[in-house]
Amino acid sequence: MAHDKVDATHHQTHPDRGGAGTPLLQAKTLTKHFPLGGGAVVRAVDGVDFAVMKGETLGVVGESGCGKSTTARVVMQLIPQDKGEMLFDGEIVGGQALTLKEYRRQAQMVFQDSYASLNPRLTVEDSIAFGPTVHGVSKANAILKARDLLERVGLDPARFAARYPHELSGGQRQRVNIARALALGPRLVILDEAVSALDKSVEAQVLNLLADLREEFGLTYIFISHDLNVVRFISDRVMVMYLGEVVEIGPVEELYGDPRHPYTRALLSAMPSMDPDNRTMEAPLAGDPPNPINPPEGCRFHPRCPQAQTVCAKVKPVLATVGEGARQVACHMQVPGSGHSHAPALEVAA
Amino acid sequence: MSAIAQGKAAVIVPPLAKSPGYWSGVWRRFKTDKVAVCAGLVVLAIILMAIFADYIAPADPTRSSMLRRLRPIGTPGYPLGADELGRDMLSRLIHGARLSLFMGVVPVFIAFIIGSVIGVAAGFFGGKFNTITMRTVDVFYAFPSVLLAIALSGALGAGITNSLLSLTIVFIPPIARIAESVTTQVRSMDYVEAARASGANAITIIRVHVLGNVLGPIFVYATSLISVSMILASGLSFLGLGTKPPTPEWGLMLNTLRTAIYVQPWVAALPGAAIFITSISFNLLSDGLRSAMDVKG
Amino acid sequence: MSTGKNTGTSTPLVEIENLTVRFRGVQTVHAVNGVSLTLEPGQVLGILGESGSGKSVTLKTLLRLLPESRTDIGGGVRVDGRDVLALNPQDLADYRGAVTSMIFQDPALALDPVYTVGQQIAEAIIRHESISAKAAMARALELLELVRIPSPERRLKAYPHEMSGGMRQRAMIALALAARPKLLLADEPTTALDATVQIQILLLLRQLQRDLGMGMLFVTHDIGVAVEVSDRLAVMYAGQIVETGTVRELIRDPQHPYTRGLLAANLHGAKKGERLEAIPGAPPALTEPPSACSFAPRCKHAQDRCRAALPPVVQLGEGRVVRCILAEQALTAAA
Repeated sequence: MAHDKVDATHHQTHPDRGGAGTPLLQAKTLTKHFPLGGGAVVRAVDGVDFAVMKGETLGVVGESGCGKSTTARVVMQLIPQDKGEMLFDGEIVGGQALTLKEYRRQAQMVFQDSYASLNPRLTVEDSIAFGPTVHGVSKANAILKARDLLERVGLDPARFAARYPHELSGGQRQRVNIARALALGPRLVILDEAVSALDKSVEAQVLNLLADLREEFGLTYIFISHDLNVVRFISDRVMVMYLGEVVEIGPVEELYGDPRHPYTRALLSAMPSMDPDNRTMEAPLAGDPPNPINPPEGCRFHPRCPQAQTVCAKVKPVLATVGEGARQVACHMQVPGSGHSHAPALEVAA
Repeated sequence: MSAIAQGKAAVIVPPLAKSPGYWSGVWRRFKTDKVAVCAGLVVLAIILMAIFADYIAPADPTRSSMLRRLRPIGTPGYPLGADELGRDMLSRLIHGARLSLFMGVVPVFIAFIIGSVIGVAAGFFGGKFNTITMRTVDVFYAFPSVLLAIALSGALGAGITNSLLSLTIVFIPPIARIAESVTTQVRSMDYVEAARASGANAITIIRVHVLGNVLGPIFVYATSLISVSMILASGLSFLGLGTKPPTPEWGLMLNTLRTAIYVQPWVAALPGAAIFITSISFNLLSDGLRSAMDVKG
Repeated sequence: MSTGKNTGTSTPLVEIENLTVRFRGVQTVHAVNGVSLTLEPGQVLGILGESGSGKSVTLKTLLRLLPESRTDIGGGVRVDGRDVLALNPQDLADYRGAVTSMIFQDPALALDPVYTVGQQIAEAIIRHESISAKAAMARALELLELVRIPSPERRLKAYPHEMSGGMRQRAMIALALAARPKLLLADEPTTALDATVQIQILLLLRQLQRDLGMGMLFVTHDIGVAVEVSDRLAVMYAGQIVETGTVRELIRDPQHPYTRGLLAANLHGAKKGERLEAIPGAPPALTEPPSACSFAPRCKHAQDRCRAALPPVVQLGEGRVVRCILAEQALTAAA
């Protein structure tokens, strides 16, 4: 592995500024609203705070309308945020020390639709080589790098480099998209439902590939998916979103083993049981996820929450650290003295 | 793979056999469309006829003869008859193809360039720029094309250059509309997003990712306008706003022969038939191109 | 449990015998290559497969929904004693909806955007029964209550676009049940839904199927969903059923390497850092009918025999069939 790191065709690795223990990306109160006609506003992302540590994979889960894809696009700066800021390795994204163009070398994205994300008129190697040429690499060098990356994502360059996207299967195209994202030598890769459209047997291959590449290139992932099994497999920490807000973040096994937010619990128990003798007997939630146009007051989950009380409808819970510090939950039941009957007792101040 | 050289010395990229690309697929599908291939051959024949008119035409198209006015088809020396001034119809039709084709193709071509620029820019940049541009275009689009062409030609005065100008103006709005809608579609594709995510600026994205995917459909649409342009140009000539006699031009010929419709109906109908055959061939060709280009992959 | 034995004596609701489906076109596609299956009344058979496995095509032949002009269908399809492939247009119209009905992934395929939900359901009832419009509307209301749409009176007058995704799915189920079918075909009905809604629809289907005593064929690519609703499972690959058995048998003791691969790929309970037992490669293109095991190119157990001839159909027990030489070898070793 070590010799791969010095391989000239790969990354002119970007210098690490803050050191290994610091977050690679910090999002602070990211907010993105889309105005509709007539004064209505879609609160797609509403004050989202999170950090992604160097070398970790942050899984993001939630249902449609929870804002996970909008979050991805804001993090990638494909759409500008209305409020909030992002720090990448300590520098403000889009600021003087880290221009948008420079940031885009260090953060890349893989989309869900493998066909729509490749230009049908370009060969595979031209698609991969496009990014580096934008950043001043000569065409010939960029093509060589593209072929090397094809090899690394498991596609024989001699067979695939000169092909067009429509000649490839879905799994092969997604490998090309991954190679394209890696062509700029990014440190952060955002995977927005990147394996969701693939057949299960192919999905497993691509997940293995993603795990290998993370190791080989020292990547940090933001992995967005609706599939909780996949998120559990690939993530170090998981962030659960509901109606444009973060309701819970925590280390993957802790969160799956002991979900603290009622919505996280509901999501997890909505997973198919995979056990014919212990089938799910009751749906954890009724109705559809509401749309983020006029989100409820107070806790946004309270109209569907089985444990909602008056305080939930009035006061918006804040994302607060729970327990030993690795977990954050936005629920009144976790906050001492919140007014919810299930809340832990207030500790008496000394 | 580690053998790949890094240096700034000349990098040699081993060539790979390109797989048959998009256009070869289009050609393969086009070949199987018999109607479109026939139409294409007719168009080709008419173009060749126009180019080599001087060599093909049996007689001087402007040489008149008071003695041989309005001869029927099949008259010795006048295979397609003679017109109201005794000129050889065959030669006039062959020479007329030049101006008629010219008036069909050139305004559409110029409008294709201008309309594409307007439409692609509006579609790609979107927002207010799109709204302002496309509303302006719509003002012109709202007029029936015949009326607009006549009004513009009338205002500018008769003559080929002015007809050309007015026809170009007539065709810019529809082409810009199509260009805008195709570009708006392409702009929302993930590969354009991915290109933005790799830090490319708008010009690069348009050049590499947008043009290649929009010019084809716009071009196909434009070819379908060639027949309209020919008919409109003929119409302008017919109204005396286009070509001046004695230059042979199908629309003008139709006009001057209309008085002879009861005397020699077949001869009088010939320019109309030429216009009809040419325009329908262009239309069928463009239909064939459209369906050949439409298939994914 | 010996439910298979008890119902085994009655006539099956669905009998598919050696079904082949071929699409003619620029390139012929052999979508289904010799599928045989039976479904007892009141049972749920899950058909599991990936895209291009022929699972949806098999389902559609049961309603004759495939474009007849460019489709060649061979073999036999019997539903409730009718020879489906031989039905004349009038009988086919009577059969569709009343005997066999279908729900889809996308309700937009089944619901007409210009009529209210109530009108559509009432219309479907009137098509099969001589009943007044008023009585039909009353039945439509009952059906909306049956699929547990909240405030059904109001929803009766709603247009499909005024409903949420899960609600539309419920309305489509009500529409499919309008003429009291004996067989319900479900083509990935929960795939486009959110997790918390998916489980609601699955539970609803399971309950309706049991309460109404319908047979159900449930096509899905998601093994978890299939386990949640099915009594028995059939795993399809490249237009063939490679393994059938009860849900328990398939989950606890999968025999075909493809079934095993699918189970591993589901990642149920997979922990971070583990390496996935991924099936390499991709499914075949189906431009030719299979002359050997279609899975052999991706199978780590493949032998020369697998590539030379079609795999044996190994009967492991009542309704337990595997198309693989591994199963045959295991059987002879045990004997």
